[in-house]
Amino acid sequence: MTANWVPALELDELWEGEMTAVTVGGTSVLLVNVDGDVRAYRNRCPHQEWALDEGDFDGEIITCSRHLWEFDARSGAGRNPATCSLSVFPCRVDEVGMIHVDVR
Amino acid sequence: MIVGAGVAGASAAATLRAEGFDGEVLLVGDEPDAPYERPPLSKAWLSGQAPSIEVHPPEFYADQSIELLTGTRVTGLDAAARRVVVGGSAVGYDALLVATGGQARRLRGMAGERVHHLRTRADSDRLRAQLVPGERLVVLGAGFVGCEVAATARSLGVDVTVLEMAGSPLERALGPEIGGVFAGIHRDAGVDLRCGVRVDAVSAADSGPVVHTDRGTVECSVLLVAAGMVRDTGIWEAAGVPCDDGVLVDAGCRTGVPGVFAAGDVAAHDHPRYGRTRVEHHDSAVRQGAIAAQAMLGRDVVHDQPHWFWSDQYVHTVQSCGAPGVAVDETVVRGRIDEASFVRFGLRDGRVVSVLGLGRPREVMAGRKLLLGGHPVSADQLRDESVDLRRAGVRR
Repeated sequence: MTANWVPALELDELWEGEMTAVTVGGTSVLLVNVDGDVRAYRNRCPHQEWALDEGDFDGEIITCSRHLWEFDARSGAGRNPATCSLSVFPCRVDEVGMIHVDVR
Repeated sequence: MIVGAGVAGASAAATLRAEGFDGEVLLVGDEPDAPYERPPLSKAWLSGQAPSIEVHPPEFYADQSIELLTGTRVTGLDAAARRVVVGGSAVGYDALLVATGGQARRLRGMAGERVHHLRTRADSDRLRAQLVPGERLVVLGAGFVGCEVAATARSLGVDVTVLEMAGSPLERALGPEIGGVFAGIHRDAGVDLRCGVRVDAVSAADSGPVVHTDRGTVECSVLLVAAGMVRDTGIWEAAGVPCDDGVLVDAGCRTGVPGVFAAGDVAAHDHPRYGRTRVEHHDSAVRQGAIAAQAMLGRDVVHDQPHWFWSDQYVHTVQSCGAPGVAVDETVVRGRIDEASFVRFGLRDGRVVSVLGLGRPREVMAGRKLLLGGHPVSADQLRDESVDLRRAGVRR
């Protein structure tokens, strides 16, 4: 199966150490710029489905604004608690600096 | 040995393994369920909208070699011999964590098929079965549990009356001004909220409980007594563990009795920022459980995170970081309290020491960061809604 890349946001609009939510194909996606690398996650905390873009990103850790669940921004792995993690979407940045996400 | 299988106990068990402890871990709880989260019991679980509230998936305990004993009571402690009585048999331990939480406060003479308290999953299930349209719910007490159940019951089409002794809901936790905002929120949602009412007694009639107050009687078909919780420390106190409305622990969740620790709602914790505190916050239970586990492993740790709690009622979310009662020099409001959209900051020595927000999670998170960072920030920056709080601080 081939990837279904959808342009989501220009990299220029997502500074290092920032995160933002975009809608891709009807799905809310959290884009995170970790030291120049972009990651894409479902924009829902696995705990109670709250939107993660309302939370905090300190450059390494994403913290949900509701119950302070914490996730490693690079891998999506849970830090507190460690038992659940974010769902990852494939993403890439093309030669003209556009971030593409595959939410299929 | 962890006594109490709530979130504090579950957090401690998981932390012991995460920290590399490879000895036996026994997690004992008197409820029939594996550890679950209590906050949804008055909200999404009560309305039947939470698919699962388990802290860990069922296979977690076996995978982590954590022996989970549910439906089992611990009835005695011999701290000198390091033994507890578990389900009638003596069991030895190297380190003991008391994480037994508390029980819903019961008022004399209030019992029966249609009288409810809310602390456990079973309580929530039993209440839910009676929250159907056309029923008339009366809630005694407009604290967080009472207010959240009132909101959930309204969403289920139940008639709701709330009786509160204070002048406004949530007054003890949030003060009269914000309490007044919540009074408006509940009345707008159709709740018959009566404050300044003293409840004298409850009697039973064929139609259901009848509440007798200093302002007459109130009939209902379902009654919820939401009068807070009590900490049962009898076993621990009898064994010589210092208690005073809770098991007294230092900042690292140690009781002072060798090998005995406490965490969560049952603990009266000596917090480095706030002194001796007894809180019933989910976040404190999780964090104290994790700190206690590390202390059980001999680590030199303290729980010094600011308190964090939240409450969801209808579309409104209130969130608090710090301690609402902490001393401040100045209070700054960003947004409008009367419009139920604001963040209130407490400042001391030019630094944020408390953050309380309604409907503004993003700014509460930014405020929490200012609090944790401890950098100076001006009242004007906090008040000015054109200032991005994530970039506030220092510049004056």
